Order: sequence, then C-alpha cells, then structure tokens
Amino acid sequence: MESYTYVNIFETKGLEYLLLICFLVLFIFLVRYLASPLPAKEQAGKE
Amino acid sequence: MNRRGFLKLAGTVGATLAAKKAKARDNDDEKEEFVGVLTDTTRCIGCRTCEVACAEAHGLPVPDVQNDGALEAERRTSDTQWTVVNRYETDEGDVFVKKQCMHCWQPGCTAACLTNAMYKTHAGPVIWRSDKCMGCRYCMISCPFEIPKFEYDSWNPKIHKCNMCWERLQEGQKPACVDACPTDALMFGRKRELMEVARVRIYNHPQKYVHQVYGEHEVGGTGWLYLSSVPFEQLGFRTDLGTTPYPDYTREFLYAVPVVLFAVPAFLLGLRFLSENEEELEEGESHA
Amino acid sequence: MHDENKKGRSFADIIRFILQEMKPRGKFLTPFNVISIVVIIAGVIILTVRFIYGLGSVSNLNQEYPWGLWKGFNVITGVAFAGGAYVLTFVVYVMGVEKYHSIVRVTVLNGLLAYIFYAGALILDLGRPWNIINPIIGNDFGYNSVLFLVAWHFMLYMIAEFIEFSPVAAEWLNLEKAKKVLQMLTLGAVIFGITLSSLHQSGLGALFLMAKSKIHPLWYTEFIPLLFLVSSIFAGISMVIFEGTISHRVFREQIGPDGKSSFDQIVFGLAKGAAIAMFVYYFFKLLVFIHEHHWQHIHGFWGFWYLFEIIGLVLVPCFLFAYGARHRIIGVIRIAAILTLIGIIVNRLNISMIAYNWNVVDRYYPSWMEYVVSFTVIFAEIWVFRWIVTRMPVYEKHTKPAMA
Repeated sequence: MESYTYVNIFETKGLEYLLLICFLVLFIFLVRYLASPLPAKEQAGKE
Repeated sequence: MNRRGFLKLAGTVGATLAAKKAKARDNDDEKEEFVGVLTDTTRCIGCRTCEVACAEAHGLPVPDVQNDGALEAERRTSDTQWTVVNRYETDEGDVFVKKQCMHCWQPGCTAACLTNAMYKTHAGPVIWRSDKCMGCRYCMISCPFEIPKFEYDSWNPKIHKCNMCWERLQEGQKPACVDACPTDALMFGRKRELMEVARVRIYNHPQKYVHQVYGEHEVGGTGWLYLSSVPFEQLGFRTDLGTTPYPDYTREFLYAVPVVLFAVPAFLLGLRFLSENEEELEEGESHA
Repeated sequence: MHDENKKGRSFADIIRFILQEMKPRGKFLTPFNVISIVVIIAGVIILTVRFIYGLGSVSNLNQEYPWGLWKGFNVITGVAFAGGAYVLTFVVYVMGVEKYHSIVRVTVLNGLLAYIFYAGALILDLGRPWNIINPIIGNDFGYNSVLFLVAWHFMLYMIAEFIEFSPVAAEWLNLEKAKKVLQMLTLGAVIFGITLSSLHQSGLGALFLMAKSKIHPLWYTEFIPLLFLVSSIFAGISMVIFEGTISHRVFREQIGPDGKSSFDQIVFGLAKGAAIAMFVYYFFKLLVFIHEHHWQHIHGFWGFWYLFEIIGLVLVPCFLFAYGARHRIIGVIRIAAILTLIGIIVNRLNISMIAYNWNVVDRYYPSWMEYVVSFTVIFAEIWVFRWIVTRMPVYEKHTKPAMA
C-alpha cells in the first residue's frame, strides 16, 4: 500500500461493533431457547 | 565515457567483487549483504541464451532455442526448466521477461520447510538440500511466485528451482545466466548496489522506464529485481502481493504456540480443581 | 476366580491370547466386508504403483495444486472430525460431567485411530517419506514452520490418546495393576491432549496463511487458525453423533438397551453444544466478512458457493441442532450432524483445493485412484475400529474381562 492517498484502515470498525451488539442480543435468545426445553416431557413420553 | 557507460562498468566491477565475497563460505556469524540480479527487461531480446546456460549449468535438458517455438505461449518454470523467458505483447511492443526464483529476503518457502531443506543462505540465494527434504510440498503452497517445482514422475522426487547458481558463487563466479546474457540485460551484484543502478537508470531515462523497481519492496523485498518500460501487470507480474514478508503471516501464530502451552494446561488444571471441590462439597453434605 | 488365572499367566499367554483374538468373528461375507476388501486391495495396488513410479502416476496433482484429496480430505478434514476426542475429554475429565462418561472411551478410540490413519495418509502423500524422521531427529529442526509444529503435535497427541485409551486395553488383557498405573496418567494425558489439540487444529488452518495470494479472498483471512479451531469443536461433536448413531445399530450387542436411552440424552446435550459453537462460528465468519470488505466478492459462482457454505452448511444445521435439542427430536439432530459434516468437508476442501488457486484454468480434479486410496484409508480404519470394539471393553456396559 502506497502512502500517497487517504486510506482509513479502521473503516469497518463501527460495523464490526454493531455486529457484536447484534450477536450478543441474538445469543441471549439462542441460549434462552436452548435452556427451556418446553415440550420435552410430552415428546419423551410419547416415545 | 558517458555516464551510463561508467555506471555499467562500475556495476560490473561491483558484481565481480560481490561474487568474490560470496565465495566466502556460508557462515552464520558473518553479516554480509545479500547478492542479487537486476533484470532490465528493456534490454532483453528474447534470445533465451540464459535458458541454455542455466540448463547446462544444472544438468537439465537443454532447450532447442532456435526451433522449439516456446515463446509463442506463456510458460512457467518447471521441474526441467529453472528459468524461462516469456514474450508479452504490450503498448511498447514485444517485451521479454526472464522468470525464475525471486530469492526473497524473507522467503515463504524456507519458513514453510519443516526440515530447512529449503534454505536461505546468508549470501542471499535460496537453495534446496536434497538430504533433508521429505517431499511435503508445503514450500509450493507458500511461495507467492509459485516457483518450487516437484518431480511428480519419480519415486525419489526432487524440488526444482533456481538457486542463483549457488555452487558457482562459491567458486567466485557469477550466475550462469548473467555470464551468458549477450545484451547485459542481467546484472549481478549486491542488492544495495543494484538498487542504486536501477534508480539511476530510471532517473536518467524517466520516459523509458516505469518508476518502479519490481522486487524492491514486493513481499518484503526480493533478491531478483526488475526494470520495465510498461506497467508490471502487463508482463505477467503479480502486483497484488503486498509488501509484507510472507513468513510474517505465520509469525504471530507461531508466537502464540508457547503462550498456549504455558497457559492452557494450567487453566485446565485449575478448572479441574474447581469442579473437584464442588463434588467434594456435595459429598460432604450428603454424608452429613 | 480371575485371580487364580492371573497368577498362572505369563507373557506368552498374553501373546497367545492376542493371536487368538486376531481371528475374525461373526459373519464374514457381509456387503460391507465385500466392498471394503475390494477397495482395500485396489488401494494397495495403486499405492504400490505410486511408490514405484511417483505421485503423478496415480494422482492428478500438479505444480499448481501440490496438495490434493489425500491431504485436503484425509488429513485436514479427518483431523477436524477427530476433534470430538478433545471436546469430550474436556467435558468429562476436566469439567467432571459424568453424563458423557459412557461415550468417552469410544470417542478417544475414534480419535486415536483417526490420527494413526490420517497421519498415515500424510506419509502416502510425501514424496520422500523415508525422510519423515528428519524434523524429529533434527535434520533439521525447521521450527520456523507451521508444519513442523503440526507434525510434532500429531506425534505427541497420538501418544496422549494412546495413554488415554490404554486402560481399556489393559482391562481387555485383564492386567489390573497396569490398568491402575495407566489410569493415573489419564488426567495428565487429557490436559496435555486438549492443549495439543487446540494448537494443531488451529495449526492446520495456519498452514494456509502463507497461501494468501492463492486462496480466494472470501476464504482467506488471518483468522483461519481460529476458524479451524472453533469449527473442529462442532465437527467433532457431529462426528460423535453420526458415528454413535451407526454404532448403536451395528454394535447393538456390545451397547445394550441402557446405553441406547442414555445415548439419546447425550445427543441432546451435544446438540446444544454444537448449536452454540456453530452460532459463534457463524458470527466469526460475519466479522471477517465485514472486516475484509468481502461484499465486493459476493457475485458469480464463488459468491454463491461461499453463501451456500456459511448459510446452508453452518447456519441451517445450527438452527436444526437448536430445534432438535429443544423439541427432543433425534432425527432432526442427525440431519443437522450430517449437514455439519458435509459443511466441514466443503470448508476444508475449499481452503485446500477448491478455492485454492481458484483462477487457474486447468483445475485439479482428483483421479479415481485418489478416491480409491482415500476410501482405502477410511475402510482400513473402520476394520481396526471394529476389531477393537468387538473385543475390548470400549462400550461401558461390556465390563466382563475378555481374558479370564
């Protein structure tokens, strides 16, 4: 890379942090989803 | 004597001295500056004398330069050709480019080699040592110029690549291709001196040359340097390789190896103790 | 009863017992046996040709594609599939989760055999295999090489896995004292093994860091080692589920009905773990996608192929794992495991073969002989696995010492 013109090497940093926030929110949903096996007993009973 | 003639003479003298110094055995303690070759593609006439000289010097099949019509298609080096000359049709007419190992300052191939069969000598040339090689071909994966070539049709295969005539350098001679070149398109010497020659040529003929020496900074700098009258993309050169030496891409990973080996076993043992304590507590409660 | 026998036992007895156990058992002419024997014989012939006339005589490897199916599939993908061993030993021996104890032995066995046979495949691929001892004996120690690290780790990890598995063999030979001694080594081997695994799983990815100019930009990233490590977690888990499903059909007698129901519970737990690991992996991929401005490459075949890999073979199985775990549907989890395994194969082959030198005109397609040798390695492993499982107490329920 030549140093004659403007280049911002941290251009995507903001987007990356946004992605992180998305991840944390969705991750909470995933963990809650996995941690509450609601119809578990019904299904197991049937088998 | 004009300026150019002087520089040429100076370059030749420098090169001879450099070869004499390279003769000094490859000594690990000795700090000597790297040798290299400057290829001025504006001087190359595509006679392929270098190919013949190279083949003769290394016991490879000698090409029939007059009749084989090899300039018609772009060629790569192979397990029988350590160097090839290609013709490119450009805005400035036909340009001939000699291709061979670039002898990087920090070669990907030597960093890749797990037995140091691929070896960067302290004089500059990158050489291959058959007694060490296990034929894993990781050097071929790691070379940004795709130079190391493998004998796929042998039970005891070798890796083939230009070694800058390492055996000739040790005898105080110049590489065979440089000696053979009839138009002085090739110049052998210390890289520092070659860079000066290259810059002077560009400075004296700013219209003739593109203002770049290929190999000055590419992948951290190479021992083989190129001057050209047309942009290097038009001559089959990769200009997207960057200036980072290739071994740098694995350096941090390898740096992390001892860190992981210090930390992870202790961390795992800690976890183990924590979970053990819990069990003991539970056991204690149930007993009580 | 056993004690009386033990007193009279000599080393010769043990050898005689082992020789006696070498004999095949059960029905011999099964479809699997017939097919695998044909493939293995063909593979041995092909390998003989390969060692006489060179790699080019049987493979389509060339100067542009120095690494092909044997390294890309057998070594790099196979080692990822063997990741279950370090994941499960971590869960059982370090975290002390007893629920998964019953499948540790078979998983460690699988891991050990995978390394023996896939490191073996590496030898088939070496041009000068007799020099393989060079980096070990110091001719030279190329410690500047990622492959040096990987080679040493393969070797050390095989030793660690062997120690982890050795109590089973000792039990088989009814060597109580040896078993006790070997069991004392287990925790050390486990901790050492997990550490080595984390390094060589990522190391296999780090091999390609210097192929920067060759791998398609959608797949090349400085994070390859981390991506390989994280994906080896769910690759290993998926393989445990996949292999367990088959084993529970084939080795029904060894496992017994109790093993079946507890295995279902294990699978639900594993599916949760896989779902979380894949979710994190998917976001790693997205982070790389953003950081490296990859949207500019999302077009044409490569863009489609990339999206297919990270959505169809990562995100979809991730959700299937989560769905199957929550609703306790074993069939969905099995489909998820199979999709995940395909995804790992696609990912590893992309980096080593498909998206490697993607702009070269003459692409590399493995020859039929390369496929035969790949299957030879897999079948040979299955034969050894079957031999061990039907003789040694690999599945917990099979506790009666074989040699009495």
